[in-house]
This record gives sequence, structure tokens and C-alpha cells, in this order.
Amino acid sequence: MVTPESIEASIRAGLPCERVEVVGDGQHFQALVVSAAFAGKSRVQRHQLVYAALGERMREEVHALSMKTLTPEELAAGG
Amino acid sequence: MDTQQRIKAQVESNPVVLYMKGTPQMPQCGFSAMAVQVLQACGVGSFASVNVLADPEIRQGIKEFANWPTIPQLYVNGEFVGGADILREMYQSGELQKLLEPVKQQA
Repeated sequence: MVTPESIEASIRAGLPCERVEVVGDGQHFQALVVSAAFAGKSRVQRHQLVYAALGERMREEVHALSMKTLTPEELAAGG
Repeated sequence: MDTQQRIKAQVESNPVVLYMKGTPQMPQCGFSAMAVQVLQACGVGSFASVNVLADPEIRQGIKEFANWPTIPQLYVNGEFVGGADILREMYQSGELQKLLEPVKQQA
């Protein structure tokens, strides 16, 4: 079974993040990802960065990952 | 026509296309159901939809088309708009209503 911790580790391994929080039940996950790499990027581009960090896991292991992607400044401003 | 060409033809020949699991009348996944609800809440009563569960080639090909590994996916005027999270955020901020305003009558 896929754990939220392993999803979090994969995201951190592929993307420099200030903060990553993942919760989930083994198939459906929700993630908060805070990264300076999101600055100036659209929502689509931000999600693609996280998907890229997860790579093949996204195709094979994870049915659904709902995510909120913020820069540190946006988080400080209240998300 | 290969799968990528088929998808390109679908998104370019319809102003609003939703790739989803199931149909708008009977969605087979909560995220697809939410995408349908958001479109309807924006006043887009009828739109083109593609049930990826009925077409394995499209189901795989659509993930490559926009470099996006999940379903649902919304396309407006041939452009990829986003998946379920992004549609919800854009609806909450009013961006989606603005984007769909010019196309909702012809959809």
C-alpha cells in the first residue's frame, strides 16, 4: 500500500520544497506543497512540477492526488 | 488517425471538452462528478465529453497529450485548462466563469 509518507518523500526528492504535507488512505491523497519553484508559474505548471517529481508513481500507484500548490509568500499571505 | 491526432481533433472541434470517467449523467468517479458540477454551475449546460473508460487508447493518450497524468481534464478552445483541483480553485476565484462566458452559449 502507498503511504502518505512515501508520497511526501517522492515529492521532496524531486522538487525543492519549503513544506510538504500529505494525507491519504492509500489510494486518494491530498497534498499541500509549498515551494519557491512555483513563483511566476501557472497552476497547471505547478501541478506538472509535482507530477514530474512523482514520475511513474503517478501512473502506477496513485489513483488520485488532490493538491494545493503555494509559494512561501502565498502561504504567508494566508494561502 | 493516431490517438494524439484524434484528441487534437476533439479539442479543436468543440469549444468545451471534458475528458472524464463516465458520462455527465452518470459520472464514475468523484473528481469527474465535481468537474461536471463546476461546469454546470458556470452555466455551461451542454458540452462535449469523452468517457475515457469506454476508450482505453484515449484514456492513455490523454495523459500524454497535455503532460497531465490524471482525469478529469478540461479543454476550452483547444487549450488545456486543468484538472479537478484547478477547476475548483478557478471556480472559487471566478476565473473559470470568466473563461467560459464567451463559449457557454455555443457549447
